[in-house]
Amino acid sequence: MSGPAARASILESLKPPPVLSGPIRSGELDDRLLTPVGRRPPLAWFVAFAVTSTAALLGFALIVYTIATGIGVWGNNIPVAWAFDIINFVFWVGIGHAGTLISAILLLFRARWRNSISRFAEAMTIFAVICATLFPLIHVGRPWLAFWLAPYPNQRGMWPNFRSPLLWDVFAVNTYFLISLLFWYIGLIPDLASLRDRTAPGVRRVVYSVLSLGWRGASSHWHHYERAYLIIAGLATGLVLSVHSVVSFDFAVSLVPGWHMTIFPPYFVAGAVFAGFAMVVMAMVVVRSTMHLEHLITAYHLDMMNRVILTCSCLMGYAYLLEGFTAWYSMNPSIHHTFRQYIGGTYGLAGWITIACNVAIPQLLWLRWFRRNIAGMVFVSLAVTVGMWFERFVIIVSSLHQDFLSSSWHVYRPTLVDYGILVGSFGLFFTLVLLFARVLPVIATTEMKMVLPGAQPRSGEGER
Amino acid sequence: MKRTQEAFSVLGIFDTPDALIRAIGEVKGKTGHRLEAYTPYPVHGLDRALGYRKSPIGGMVFVMGFIGAVSALVLELWTSGWDYPLVTAGKPVLSWEAFVPILFEITVLFAALAAGLGMLLLLNRLPALRHPMLRTRSMALLTRDRFGLAVESAGEPLDTEALAALLGKAGALEIEVVEPSPARGPASPTALATGLAMILLACLAAAGTTYWGIKLFPRVIPMVHMLDQPRLDPQSGSPFFADGSGMRPPVEGTVSQGAPPYLPRSRQEAEGLVNPLPGTAAVFRRGRAAYDTHCAVCHGLLGNGEGSLTAAYGARPTRLTAGAARELSDGAIYHVIVTGKNAMPPYASDLTEDERWAAVHYVRVLERALDALDTDFQEGAR
Repeated sequence: MSGPAARASILESLKPPPVLSGPIRSGELDDRLLTPVGRRPPLAWFVAFAVTSTAALLGFALIVYTIATGIGVWGNNIPVAWAFDIINFVFWVGIGHAGTLISAILLLFRARWRNSISRFAEAMTIFAVICATLFPLIHVGRPWLAFWLAPYPNQRGMWPNFRSPLLWDVFAVNTYFLISLLFWYIGLIPDLASLRDRTAPGVRRVVYSVLSLGWRGASSHWHHYERAYLIIAGLATGLVLSVHSVVSFDFAVSLVPGWHMTIFPPYFVAGAVFAGFAMVVMAMVVVRSTMHLEHLITAYHLDMMNRVILTCSCLMGYAYLLEGFTAWYSMNPSIHHTFRQYIGGTYGLAGWITIACNVAIPQLLWLRWFRRNIAGMVFVSLAVTVGMWFERFVIIVSSLHQDFLSSSWHVYRPTLVDYGILVGSFGLFFTLVLLFARVLPVIATTEMKMVLPGAQPRSGEGER
Repeated sequence: MKRTQEAFSVLGIFDTPDALIRAIGEVKGKTGHRLEAYTPYPVHGLDRALGYRKSPIGGMVFVMGFIGAVSALVLELWTSGWDYPLVTAGKPVLSWEAFVPILFEITVLFAALAAGLGMLLLLNRLPALRHPMLRTRSMALLTRDRFGLAVESAGEPLDTEALAALLGKAGALEIEVVEPSPARGPASPTALATGLAMILLACLAAAGTTYWGIKLFPRVIPMVHMLDQPRLDPQSGSPFFADGSGMRPPVEGTVSQGAPPYLPRSRQEAEGLVNPLPGTAAVFRRGRAAYDTHCAVCHGLLGNGEGSLTAAYGARPTRLTAGAARELSDGAIYHVIVTGKNAMPPYASDLTEDERWAAVHYVRVLERALDALDTDFQEGAR
C-alpha cells in the first residue's frame, strides 16, 4: 500500500460525519423549508402564540404601570438598587451570545454543522437583545429621556461620561444589536429572494421583493457578498467577546465586594455562551420536531451543541472556584463576608441552585445518552437556564444587600410586578420567535445548499 | 432613426455547477460582451472562471474602521478632556485607557456597517427592484437549484440568435432572451419618488400637528417630568398642623447662627450704637461696593438723593449728604438699613452686619467729600 493512499484513508477517517442525513437536493430543500413559511400554521402554533403573547401583554401592562406610578412598585431599594431589572438584562444579553458565536466564530472555524442552526440562533440573538435592552430602558425610570445617554451637542453644554462602564454598555449593546441585525439580514437576503420567487403575486410577494432588495444571485454580487459576510463574521467575533466583557465591567469596575474582580470578563463571556446554547438547544428541539426537520437538524448537531454546553459548564465551575479563591486570597473581611453570603445567609439557596444547575447537572452530558436523548438534553438545558438566571441573582442581589455600610443592610424582596415583567420578557421573546418561524425561513436555506453533496463544482477543486 | 427595444441579455440555464463552469470556459473567448452567472448560492471557482478581481471590500472596511476609531477617540478626548472636562475617580482628564471600550465598539460598528452596506449599496447596487432579470420566468429556477449564464448587452446591441446558438452548444438546457425593463412600473423612479414624497408629507403633517397642538393647548403637558412634586411652598397652608399654616415659627428664644440678634426696637434705642469697624481704606472700599450696589440706585452715587431709579420710581429719597441726614448718628443710619423707613425696604437680608457698618462709613466719607474742610486739602497737598 503506497504512502498517499494510506494518507488519504487516514484523512478520510478524520473527516467529520455528514451534516445531513439522507440524500437531499437543493430544490427539495426549498420545498421543505420555504413551503411552511406563510402557510397557515398548525393549531399548536396558535395555542403557543396565545400563551406567549398574553405573557408579553402582561409584561407590557406592568411596564406601563411601573412608568406611570414610579419605580417604587419594584422591590428595589438602597442598597439593592439593582435587582430584577439588571439581572434580566444580563440574562438576556447572555442568551443572545450563542447566536453570534454560532454564526461568527463557528463560521470562521468552518464548523459545517453550524449551517443548520445558524439562522435560528441569530434570530434568537436579536430577540434576546431586544428583551435585554428593554430592562435598562425601564430601569432609568424616565425612558423618554434615555436619549441623554447619547453624546449629542445640547443646551446644557454637557457630555456623557465616557469613563463610565454604564456608557460603555450603551455603546456595546447598541453596536451588538445593530451588527447582529445586519448580519442576520444579509444572510436572509438570498433566502428572501427564493421566497419571493416561490410566492404568487400579491402583498406577500411585494413584501418579500422589497425585503430581498431585488437580489438576483448574480455571480458578481456573490463575489462581494461572501467576502463581506466573512469580514462581518470576523468583526462579530470581536463583538461577542467584547459585549459581555463590557457588561461585566458594570460590576468589575465598581468597588462593591464580590464585584471588583478581574475574572469577571471571561467568566461572563463563558456564562453567556453557556446560557445561550442551552436556550438554542431547547428551541431547536421544539423546532425540529414540530417542523419535521429531523434530517436537517440531526442528533449530530444536538450532540455538538451539548458538547459546547459541557465545556462552558466546566469553565463556570472553574470560575466559581476561582471566585472563592479570590475572596479567600484577598484577606479582605468585606469580600470574605460577601462570599459567605453567596452560599449562606438570606440568599444562600440561590447560590446552591446556581452551583447545582450550572456545574453539577451539566456533567451528565459526559454521557453520550444525555447528549443525544431529547428529554435528557432538555432537562439539562432547562437546568442551565434556571441556574444562569440565579447566578446573576447571586452576583447582583447577594453582593449588594450587605455591602460595606452595615447600617444600610437590607433584605431585598421582589414584588409581583418584578415577577410579572420577568414573565413578560419571556413572553416577548417567544412571541417574536413564533412570529419569526411563521414568516421567515428558520433554516438558512442558501447556506444549506452550499454544503449539500455535489453543490460545488468538482472541476474547481481539482484544476489548480 | 429607428428605436427598437434591444435585448438586455441572453440567458442560458444549466443544471449543475460543473456544467456552468464548463459553459463559461466555452463562451468566454467567443463573445466580446459581458458575462454574468446566476446561482442560487455562492459557487466556488466562479470568481476565477469569470476573471473577477479581488473584492475591494476589505480595503473599504479598513478605511471605515480607521475613520471610526479616530472619530471615537477624538469625540471622547475632546468632550471629556476639553469641552467638558470631567474628572472622575481622580483620573487625569485625558485618561485614554478608559476610552478604549467605546473606541473598540465604534470601530467595529463603522467597519461592519461599511462591509454590509458597502457591499449591498455601493458594490452590488442594491436595491435593484427593477432589474430586467427579475421579470424573467427563469428567475424562480435560478434562486432554487439551477445555474444561469447570461451574455449581457451593457449598452451594445446583442445578436440574440447567434448567442442563443452559442449557449446551446455550450450545453444550456433552456435559453431565454431577457428584455429590458419598461420605463413605467410599480418600482419605477417616479413611483419611488412619489412614495417618498408622500411619506415626507405625512411626517411633516404629524410634526406640524404635534407642534401646533402643544402650542395651542398648553394645558396639555405631555410629560410632567418632575414638575409635579408634592411639597409645601413658603406661606402655603397645611392641614397637618393645628394652626393650618405650613410654615413653622421658630421655637421661642431661637437665635440665628452667624450673627447676634439685632436688639434695638426703635431709632432712639439704636442711637447709641458705635460703628465697630475701623476707618481704613479697605473698609471704605467695602462700604463703597455695598453702597453702590444697594443704595446708589435711589440715594445716588454721591448720596445726593438723585439715583438712577429716582425719576422713574417717583420717590424722593433722603439726601444723605445734606440737611438733617448729616445730623444722624452712625447707629441711626445702621438702624434704617436694618429695618427700612417709609418706602425703603429693610436691607438686613441683603447686607451682612459688616457690610452695613462699612456702608455707614462710606456715607460719612461722602458727606466729608462734599463738604471738605481746609485741613483735608492740606492733608492732600502734602
